[in-house]
Amino acid sequence: MKIKTEVLIIGGGATGAGILRDLSLRGIPSVLVEKGDFASGASGRNHGLLHSGGRYAVSDPEAAKECIAENKILRKIAPHCIEETDGLFVSLPEDGLQFRDRFLGACEEAGIPNALCSRDETLAWEPELHPHLVSAVKVPDGAIDPFKLILENAKDAESHGAKFFLHTEVASLRIEGDRIRSVEAKDLATGEELSMEASFFINATGAWANRVLRLAGLHIGMALSKGSLLITNRRLTHRVINHCRPPSDGDIVVPNETVSILGTTSIRLQEVENFEVTPQEASLLVRETSKLIPAIQEARFIRAYAGIRPLFQSEEKGNDRAISRGFALIDHGKRDSIKNLITITGGKLMTYRLMSEKTSDLICEKIGKKVSCSTHVNPLPGASRPTGSKERLQQFLTGGEEILCDCELVRRKEVEAFLGEEKFRDLQDILHRTRLAKGTCQGGFCVYRLLGVLHHLGKAGGDSNRILKEFLEERWKGIRPVLWGTALKEEELIESIYKGIFNL
Amino acid sequence: MHYDLIIIGMGLSGLMAAKTAAEADKKVLIVGKGMGSLSLFSNTIDALGQVPKTMRMGEGLSQWIKDHPEHPYSKVGPERIEESFSSFLSLFTPPYSFQAIGNTNSFLPTGAGTLRPTYLVPTTMIEATSFDEGRTLIVGFEGFKDFYTHYVANQLKCRGIDFRLPNSLYPELTATALARLMEKQPFRENIGREIRKQLQGETRVGFPALLGMHDPVQVKEELEERIGAKVFEIPILPPSIPGKRIFDRFKEWLIQKGVTFLLGYPVSKAILTEKRCQAIELAHPPVITSYSADRFILATGRFMGGGLKADAEKILEPVFNFSVHQPPSREGWFGNSFFGDLPHPIHRAGVLTNASFQPVDGGGDVILENVWVAGSVLAHHHCIEEKSREGIEIATGYWAAKCALGNS
Repeated sequence: MKIKTEVLIIGGGATGAGILRDLSLRGIPSVLVEKGDFASGASGRNHGLLHSGGRYAVSDPEAAKECIAENKILRKIAPHCIEETDGLFVSLPEDGLQFRDRFLGACEEAGIPNALCSRDETLAWEPELHPHLVSAVKVPDGAIDPFKLILENAKDAESHGAKFFLHTEVASLRIEGDRIRSVEAKDLATGEELSMEASFFINATGAWANRVLRLAGLHIGMALSKGSLLITNRRLTHRVINHCRPPSDGDIVVPNETVSILGTTSIRLQEVENFEVTPQEASLLVRETSKLIPAIQEARFIRAYAGIRPLFQSEEKGNDRAISRGFALIDHGKRDSIKNLITITGGKLMTYRLMSEKTSDLICEKIGKKVSCSTHVNPLPGASRPTGSKERLQQFLTGGEEILCDCELVRRKEVEAFLGEEKFRDLQDILHRTRLAKGTCQGGFCVYRLLGVLHHLGKAGGDSNRILKEFLEERWKGIRPVLWGTALKEEELIESIYKGIFNL
Repeated sequence: MHYDLIIIGMGLSGLMAAKTAAEADKKVLIVGKGMGSLSLFSNTIDALGQVPKTMRMGEGLSQWIKDHPEHPYSKVGPERIEESFSSFLSLFTPPYSFQAIGNTNSFLPTGAGTLRPTYLVPTTMIEATSFDEGRTLIVGFEGFKDFYTHYVANQLKCRGIDFRLPNSLYPELTATALARLMEKQPFRENIGREIRKQLQGETRVGFPALLGMHDPVQVKEELEERIGAKVFEIPILPPSIPGKRIFDRFKEWLIQKGVTFLLGYPVSKAILTEKRCQAIELAHPPVITSYSADRFILATGRFMGGGLKADAEKILEPVFNFSVHQPPSREGWFGNSFFGDLPHPIHRAGVLTNASFQPVDGGGDVILENVWVAGSVLAHHHCIEEKSREGIEIATGYWAAKCALGNS
């Protein structure tokens, strides 16, 4: 199949989807190609934090200012992807108050709203916090659902004429002189080959940036940093809890719907595909975060996962347009010999929109089109539809219908409606777009049921037992690092079902 | 209150121990905080799944014992395993009885449409053992989320139909609720009639395993008559109705024999002097009651049952703190792959005992002289992979009780 467009974006993370939306709102035809599903990389493997910028206030004031600005914008354009929880920066006796004082000053400097709270007040809000805390500062942190945010960007782009190809991997670049003519890609499910021609190409592949650049004989300086996280089976706090100390391992706990996410570690990697969380990392996270919330010592964990932060290493060569220390926008026409290639990398989920805006500005400049950005004022399409846990509970209480996933109260009707309307290629596509397999049993029950429903609807392709086994194998990667304490009971139950009763 | 024998744990091994002691006219107390894995996973009685269909189970077990000297089966020995199975079978007289077809493993269809080896088969599953002869129809219930007709039928390459129930029954359509409905004659007559109409030459009909709690054979036979085809049950996701039938039968028999039966209370403490257990305390807040006995049997199951517990570093046995055989560190508990070639090492963990099932320390010395250990809490077996769960429970429950009573 041949595809022709103005701008081809490689990478379906937050930045890629954000650029797709930005360009389509400016009336520039664009297509996105992604080798997995949306948010398969770092965009979907983080703590889902709506940064206030507080975490960077002392160490990186520039990034802090970007964060608080984007924080305010995202609350307006994506309220349905955000839970406005607020956040606390908590100091323990061993931390002293020196860093706290610098922190307060830096927040003022960066324009981050901050309020010093009394201990009694703080403990009344958050009874699980360590009772000996010496100080707490309130900042406008929140929780954000990255997957939903990205899907919403893609949907809006689609409604403005853009297209995207998921599960489609870029195999090679056809280069003629100093320009890329087309990207040669392959649909990983059907094996179909696609030739995608465009005037401009954007490499928005995050940690995979050099994989794409290699196809053009180029390279940029990047460091890969693995960040590991753990998920508890219940929500420990209402607010985001930060340890008020210089950034280090295990200093944040983010509430997310019914669970809490503990983060993070930072480990330099050579390879881009190593997502395994080691038992040592799991122990480190528990040890550090339980200083803030002692109940974490006894908590039950349902999963561990890791993402790879693509950190851009600034270099002297060429005229990089390093917009800030946070992200890098590289015009390979100026830096190298390929005129119509741009790489956008580094940065973080919080600044995806800003990164998209700057990239789209550069594209406009190159094609000589004067249209300005509107993504900071136009709300995402679903912004008026609430679909949070409160609404789900409401539906559950009034519905009295069959529940497929008892952990997350996912109704069979909801899943059947999804399977009828939406496009999906494989099991993971369905799991990404529903709450199935996100609860305590991590799909131990509901994935079998989902496959049963697919059979019932006549939509099951392939050998379901093989798919079920592959899912359990994938699930295992996230479960194995956190298997101790009460989680062992669940593990015994799941093994007894699938290896025992079902003899898979 | 003083007893000859107190059994801690109400799974199949505890129940077998209680039965064995009751038959010796002992004054027995059995306590349990739950029904053990019986009500979750046990549908049939597994002995050893890997014994090929062409080999008699007795022979297969003898071979296994030679190759696995530390295995619980090896401590019991082939003759006494045989005795223990006979003892179990004697409790289940027709109509709901168990059979070892040809004294070998049989292969029965499961809720994932696979075939699974097992040894003793209940009457309601007998027809499933010759599943591959002739044609089979799989029947399920629309809205019942623990069984998927078309999933199973697709895997087994046969036809499936879903039975629609009146809307009012939909909320909370569980296996237990359906099993109760099946006991209502008009309900099953209606189902039987409907299925007969939809039959396309099938000679067997497979249902999820919920054909009634109390009189499943009557349910099966009536359905067969109405449908005009043979009927069998297929094991499904927990809870297990066939497992509950086994539990209920033991409970009825034990109570009739005068065994004191205390379900729902965990042991909060064991009272020890020197090398003996004097009594156990049961917490039923706000009261704590103490029960003393000459002898005790620990049959508390594995992690799910609470017989084993683990923090982030090591595995322990919480009632008596007996020595637990285990991998050297947490990193060694599980393999990298869920369905690896080898079972996860943690499954071999368990309480160390001597050949008479007395708990021993690392040096082989008996820790408490009047306590014996039975069931899946024992070390050196992989009951899930081996498909030996019920067999180990029956054999060790029986033999631990014999050892306890013999050494008076």
